Amino acid sequence: MLPGMIVVEAVSKTYGRLGRRTRALDGVSLTVRRGETLGLIGGNGAGKTTLLSCLLGFLRPDSGAIAIDGCPVDDLGVRARTGYMPERLGFDRDLTGADFLAFHWRLSGADPRKTAAEVGAAADRVGLDRGALGRRLKTYSRGMLQRIGVAQATLGDPDLLFLDEPASGTDPLGVAIVRDLILAAKARGATIVLNSHQLPEVERVCDRVVFIDHGRLTRSETLTGAEASRRRAMIRVAADRAESALTALTTASIAAEPGQSGQLRLADAGEAEVAKAVRVLALADIPVLEVRASAELEELFRGGSVS
Amino acid sequence: MTEMIRRYLRQKLASLGVLVALGVIALVTAFTLAVSGGERGLETGFVSLLLLAAASVSKDASGGALQMILARPLTRTDYLFGRYLGILAAYASFLAACALIAYALATVFLPLFGLERTPVSAPALLRGFGAGMLGAVLPAAVLLFFSTFLPGYADVLAYFLLMIALPVPGLLGQALRKPWLERVSALAKENVLPEVRWEQVFGGKEVLGAATGRWALAVAVFLVAAAAVFSRREFAYGQD
Repeated sequence: MLPGMIVVEAVSKTYGRLGRRTRALDGVSLTVRRGETLGLIGGNGAGKTTLLSCLLGFLRPDSGAIAIDGCPVDDLGVRARTGYMPERLGFDRDLTGADFLAFHWRLSGADPRKTAAEVGAAADRVGLDRGALGRRLKTYSRGMLQRIGVAQATLGDPDLLFLDEPASGTDPLGVAIVRDLILAAKARGATIVLNSHQLPEVERVCDRVVFIDHGRLTRSETLTGAEASRRRAMIRVAADRAESALTALTTASIAAEPGQSGQLRLADAGEAEVAKAVRVLALADIPVLEVRASAELEELFRGGSVS
Repeated sequence: MTEMIRRYLRQKLASLGVLVALGVIALVTAFTLAVSGGERGLETGFVSLLLLAAASVSKDASGGALQMILARPLTRTDYLFGRYLGILAAYASFLAACALIAYALATVFLPLFGLERTPVSAPALLRGFGAGMLGAVLPAAVLLFFSTFLPGYADVLAYFLLMIALPVPGLLGQALRKPWLERVSALAKENVLPEVRWEQVFGGKEVLGAATGRWALAVAVFLVAAAAVFSRREFAYGQD
């Protein structure tokens, strides 16, 4: 195992006063490896935002410890390499978009001479036109606020990103832009912690997900690589050929379950298994209409697997 | 810290309500000053400082801006003292504007309308500016301290409560004929919110007097207390 960039050890956090105390985190331990993208999954009130707040040093754990690269979370060296986007952008709404980004660029300790260039580049990355940069934040739509929030988080290409519902309230293009930015950050080796309810997006960008319920870590699933613990695939054929497709797969010793409208679900499907299944169907002269790899996180989330 | 001071000034300048209120106070102050020939000093009243110093930290904390700032490589102390210096910079700008308007009124407008005036001297204006600034240092520190842990504009309320509470033991002592209560009250008043006659200090009197010493100590205590509270405070955001 690679050394952990983020190490969380038995962290507990309780809110409230005597008699009305709520345990938001209960002995959470996890390690996020350098370059890994970790997704936090859980219902409302599960403890995800509390965990993010502890990771960022806004909240202090009652017990346990958190270290980032062996340093405390409020270490200024760590913060200089950190990008953070809150769920809702609560900032001076009288600032223009350009001033907002410039403020965060300067605050990050970066070269002030590059401010204008970096502000423009950040706006381009999230698809905000230059005209919008001159407008005050209070005139921005929710989607535009989310985009400029992501732009400020990725200013200076930080190698540690904490994103809380980054695509919430954005249009489909905004969702795609946020996804591309996360994938770009991944590609340059950034370590990312993503809190999102958009499970298909989580699945597309995360290497691993952890489920949090009532402040406890209940499940961890690796989604990519040789260590992938949850590999599912769906193959869709014409509905009237589904039965013969199932027979062909079973004959080839490939476990599959029939679904709706010609869907066949492969329970344990790595890349090789999916390729083999497609080959079997092609040889049986059954046209494959769609192939989709999916960890089916929603199934896990809805199916009560999170106990 | 410079960024924090700039941001504070920008925030205050962006608020139209604050600007209008300060404008009215500035005009009244300047007119009084111009007519008196600068001898009245820059007495802008406590309201102008309240307008500039209220909710200096609490507004950021409740709006979520603070969390975004604290995620950057900036210590909490830098943020806090940046806000404090921002208050003082805003107040200094306001006093300077008052002095300029007063000078313009005295030299141009009052003679234009044939009104009687006493010439405003630059040294008198400077003394007034200095006294005004030093007079704001302690109230700004007290308001900052309260704003580190009280929500919204409760810092202003707490300040007034403090001013009201300090003489209460003295009044009780008088009513109950308990001299020790009166002594406690006087002691608390002298040490928590000491009054310094800055005009006299600028005139070379009581520069190192007991009142000046108590004032310096009170400023230091409130600032250190603000830093201690703020560095320990937790800032939750959003929902799980």
